[in-house]
Amino acid sequence: MEKVVIVRYAEIHLKGKNRGYFERVFCVNLEKALKGMKHELRRTSGRYLIAAFEESDAEEILSRVSRVFGVHSYSLGYRVPNDLDHIFEAARAVCPTDGTFKVETHRADKRYPMTSLELSAAIGARLLESSPALRVDVHAPQHTVYLDIREEGTALVFGSFEEGAGGMPVGTSSKGLLLISGGIDSPVAGYMMAKRGMEVEYLHFHSYPYTNEQAKDKVVELARILSRYAGGEWLSTVKVTHIQEEIHKKCAPELNVTLLRRFMFRIAERVAKKKGAKCLITGESLGQVASQTMEGITSSNAVVTLPVLRPLIGFDKEEIIVRAKKIGTFDTSVLPYEDCCTVFLPEFPAIKPKLSFIEEEEGKLDVEGLVEEALASCERISIH
Amino acid sequence: MIYLDNAATTRPSQGALARAQTYLTDCFYNPSALYHGGAEAHRLLRTARASLLSHIADPAAYDLIFTSCGTEADAQAVFGAARRGNAVTTAGEHAAVHESFRELKNRGVEPRFAPVLRDGSVDEEALLAMVDDKTSLVSVIHVSNETGAVNDIAALARRVKQKNPRTVFHSDGVQAFGKLPFRLSRDIDLYTVSAHKIGALKGTGALLKRKAYTALPPFVYGGGQENGMRSGTENVFGIACFYYAAEEKFACLKEDGARLAGYRELLWELLGHDLYTRISPADGSPYILTVSAAGKRGETLQRMLWDRGVAVGTGSACNSKKPHSRVLEACGYPTAVLDGVLRVSFSPATSEEDVRAAAAAMNDAARSFGG
Repeated sequence: MEKVVIVRYAEIHLKGKNRGYFERVFCVNLEKALKGMKHELRRTSGRYLIAAFEESDAEEILSRVSRVFGVHSYSLGYRVPNDLDHIFEAARAVCPTDGTFKVETHRADKRYPMTSLELSAAIGARLLESSPALRVDVHAPQHTVYLDIREEGTALVFGSFEEGAGGMPVGTSSKGLLLISGGIDSPVAGYMMAKRGMEVEYLHFHSYPYTNEQAKDKVVELARILSRYAGGEWLSTVKVTHIQEEIHKKCAPELNVTLLRRFMFRIAERVAKKKGAKCLITGESLGQVASQTMEGITSSNAVVTLPVLRPLIGFDKEEIIVRAKKIGTFDTSVLPYEDCCTVFLPEFPAIKPKLSFIEEEEGKLDVEGLVEEALASCERISIH
Repeated sequence: MIYLDNAATTRPSQGALARAQTYLTDCFYNPSALYHGGAEAHRLLRTARASLLSHIADPAAYDLIFTSCGTEADAQAVFGAARRGNAVTTAGEHAAVHESFRELKNRGVEPRFAPVLRDGSVDEEALLAMVDDKTSLVSVIHVSNETGAVNDIAALARRVKQKNPRTVFHSDGVQAFGKLPFRLSRDIDLYTVSAHKIGALKGTGALLKRKAYTALPPFVYGGGQENGMRSGTENVFGIACFYYAAEEKFACLKEDGARLAGYRELLWELLGHDLYTRISPADGSPYILTVSAAGKRGETLQRMLWDRGVAVGTGSACNSKKPHSRVLEACGYPTAVLDGVLRVSFSPATSEEDVRAAAAAMNDAARSFGG
């Protein structure tokens, strides 16, 4: 009886002739997720088996698999020879000894001498015999024992299906640069894009000494949590203090944030191109704050040519929070350190700034010089 | 780096470290062990205890319980002494006492917070008015860690006892011990001290207890160390450092105090009075000068100063996760002042050049704030 984790993948089967490519990336990602743990990864038709791991690592393997995009579902179970005695032994190991249950069989090997119903009945009868407190309920059982008869003379026996992260293998949908603040939204935005197979790079803007090192450390921590799903090794940071000071000194205060965001987008586009990223990703949600109005979005989009993906654009804050909690970034996001945007905040930010006014105010600044200066401050921090 | 955040913690004394070294490397034994090595370690504890006590109290009248920090000593005092009725403290306490008092409510004891004056010292009459025949504990900070204001705890303790002789009087003396010359009067039942504020190590504190006050229960139970009052294997090395560092401090306590009071005033004189307002009182601890660059942010100034080679504090290091100092808010300062608080705190190692350089850096940082 061999303990295994059965991993089923999600949309890959839809990919026709590209299927081989998707499977290869998926396999590499699984291996990456399991790095450092003793295991063997085996491919069988339509699913992967993780085997030969230490019993004590099982929990962590499941938790790591749960974060790999492209996983439709996974189960902890047993791989046994497909004779009745072995199957029963495994079934007894996954089935509790009281409550209601049923046995559900799936035969990939249609040459198997018993039909699915016959096999379910036979194993069910044996389970009843060995555990008198068990009762059968085929409609709403408390426990289900799944038998999966494979083609190579083996059977997989397991007690539950865990829902996987879904989506597509990270790396199959190009690369994007995530503008990550210390807030709740941007990590969720990165997660959403990674879920669709995008590899994520991280860029953070800070305003030291107006923001502190703890805020930067917090972003590193957020990127670290996110990288468990989305990959990525490094966080780039760019200091925009001087830009903020210049805007503060020379421009209309109600445009502070609007102008700063245009600088951030310009800088981000250059960083993205250097890193081979094909788009920018932000955590903007329409109307959430003054800079996230349609006019605000238009004004920042006007300074870049790369597409800007905003996967949270139609989300309410509450929906974003639910996701952030599930991803595990929420608790870190709400640590009370100020991020870039809260320093130099005007009392009344412009909600619908006119592009002509923005450009006129921006004209008072040495835009190219400031962008270059900021880029020169770019640092790369390891997130692992 | 000119280090002027000594109220947060101090650089450990090289002399004390060197003398204590042997208890880290050679005499590392468990003081409870009944062979020679254990006895030697135990002997150090006894000597250290007697010496630390002798600086501020009559060793015949007081015990000293070693703890893991000042916060633990405060907790033992508050939760041990306030077990019924009500307990009175000030709005100017360190978080260790303040949060313990807030917790008292969950334990069926009514906490009462006496207001503080503008400088952070307690409003004595208001405090005394809160004491009644059900008051089990009064706790008053000796020197405010935020402003340096000194409470006259001897007089307060006497008046509290006149009103209710059964009330236990505790004082948090973390910013006073090894800095101000004083002796514990017999009306003070419990007194908290900490090692790392006077050149010894973090992880060592103590609670002084008047011998005649016998009702205080243990806070940590176990192997019965510290006369059963605080179980857990003693931090022999930390205690040795505490002992030696205190010896150094008390050897020139008055001279240091006089010199640093001079520096405190010199710093205030050198600061641009258009940039900074003073919060610390003139008669407060010589070791602390708290000012505010109103309208600017203290936390940002703090980092600008670090980049200019000067380390200072803001409201209180233990409080840096909250936007404003609770204590200074209680003093009645407006938001703009609370935003810009900087706490400069000295040690005997501070020199006049340090003070002059710090003043120049503080003026420069405040002027260049905002670009």
